[in-house]
Amino acid sequence: MKKAQFNFVWIFALLIGGAILAFAVFGATRMGNTARFQSDTEIAKSISIITDPLQSGFGAGSFGKMTFVQETRINNICFSGKFGKNEISVSTKSGVGKPWNLAGGATSIHNKYIFSSEQNSGKEYYVFSKPFSFPYKVADLIFLTSKDYCFVGSPKGVADEIKGLGIPNIQIGNCTNANATKVCFGDRNNCDINVYGSCVSGCNSPYDFGTVKKGSLTMNYAGNLMFAAIFSDKSIYDCNVKRLMYRTARIAGELYDKSDLMNARGCNTNMGADLSEWRGLVFNSGSKNLIPLSSIAKKMEKKNEMELCNVWK
Amino acid sequence: MKIQQMAFMIVAVFFFFVLVGLFFMNIQFRSIKGSAADLQKDQTISSLKVIADMPELSYSPSDTMTVDEDKLKIMSSNFSANYNLFWPVSSVEVYKVYPSFKVAKKCPSVNCNFYEIYNNGQTDVKTYSAFVSICNRVKQLGSIYNKCEIGKLVVGVKTNA
Repeated sequence: MKKAQFNFVWIFALLIGGAILAFAVFGATRMGNTARFQSDTEIAKSISIITDPLQSGFGAGSFGKMTFVQETRINNICFSGKFGKNEISVSTKSGVGKPWNLAGGATSIHNKYIFSSEQNSGKEYYVFSKPFSFPYKVADLIFLTSKDYCFVGSPKGVADEIKGLGIPNIQIGNCTNANATKVCFGDRNNCDINVYGSCVSGCNSPYDFGTVKKGSLTMNYAGNLMFAAIFSDKSIYDCNVKRLMYRTARIAGELYDKSDLMNARGCNTNMGADLSEWRGLVFNSGSKNLIPLSSIAKKMEKKNEMELCNVWK
Repeated sequence: MKIQQMAFMIVAVFFFFVLVGLFFMNIQFRSIKGSAADLQKDQTISSLKVIADMPELSYSPSDTMTVDEDKLKIMSSNFSANYNLFWPVSSVEVYKVYPSFKVAKKCPSVNCNFYEIYNNGQTDVKTYSAFVSICNRVKQLGSIYNKCEIGKLVVGVKTNA
């Protein structure tokens, strides 16, 4: 009788104790995951905020560095409808269980154009920005990289800009880092990426617009979109260019209305017809149309400069 | 009897841990709310410069915090309807600071003093502001020049009450 009671007490205690322990372990794990999700979501939101001062304005560009305590993966998804958006999410590497956790909540960024790989990972990220004008200022392009690059044969303007910004993960000239992605300007061998300039007249450099080749993939660029084509995946590049072209068209519409207001108060301009035509041309354009559009943009830029009442500066 | 005692003890221990868990969860959720509010505040403050320097409002890329009055007129009309999701804030307004006024009068109208660029209709909005220059290019007596006056950019953000 005593033996049976002892056994029952112990079995009962073991069962309930085990259940409580399992419940506690489950709760602790869930809380840990929730805390990590919260932290990853906060990082994604912070990336959106800390890129605000990087919007370079009139300057040649600006540069910033993000350092994480542990290895961090940044996912960038681009949506191209109308103004579109970049969705940034972050996941951190863990020493327990699966190395990479599920990404935290994504932050949607509608008013920025973030060019990167779809998935980057590293402890240090380099972020720099360049303005994009087509022919008027459209936006600031933000480039997010964690890899090292080496630019070979880059034109003086590009080399000076990179040196001026002091971007540490881009080497100019001699490549001492064997792991760096080799970016060659012109037709050279043993390169990961080749940049070909197409501008022949009225250019600051042949590389004002042209083509970036990555293996079998080709991306047309105009102006500072050259850096975008070098640093981002083709899917992100094409999507962001589509978003930029939509915004270019919207601004053309606004500048067209502005030219009407200027004419009404006697500050006359002849840019109205050009802007109306330009809006139609860029509205549904993508990266494929950039080279022919660049020539038209250059002509518009010159015409606007000649005017006393400039529609844009 | 012993089983009964043990059962009560186990239930008590269980509830104790549940209460401790709830206490920690409450602290954690409070910190989430706090960091969300901080992030939103940071974003709104940095948005002031971003919005003023947007090509849709900016007078010239070389002049920071300078907005174009012609663009304000256009963006405060139906034109800005396409930009609904684009703004990182709940409302964007630009006020003319001088001459001072007691009653805000929305443009376009005679002697108006503020442009409403965007308002998503949210209530419980906290506003942040920064001074800007409001400029346009004018032709007077045969000479063309930039005419500028002082303005105030006011952006609103929903409070996490």
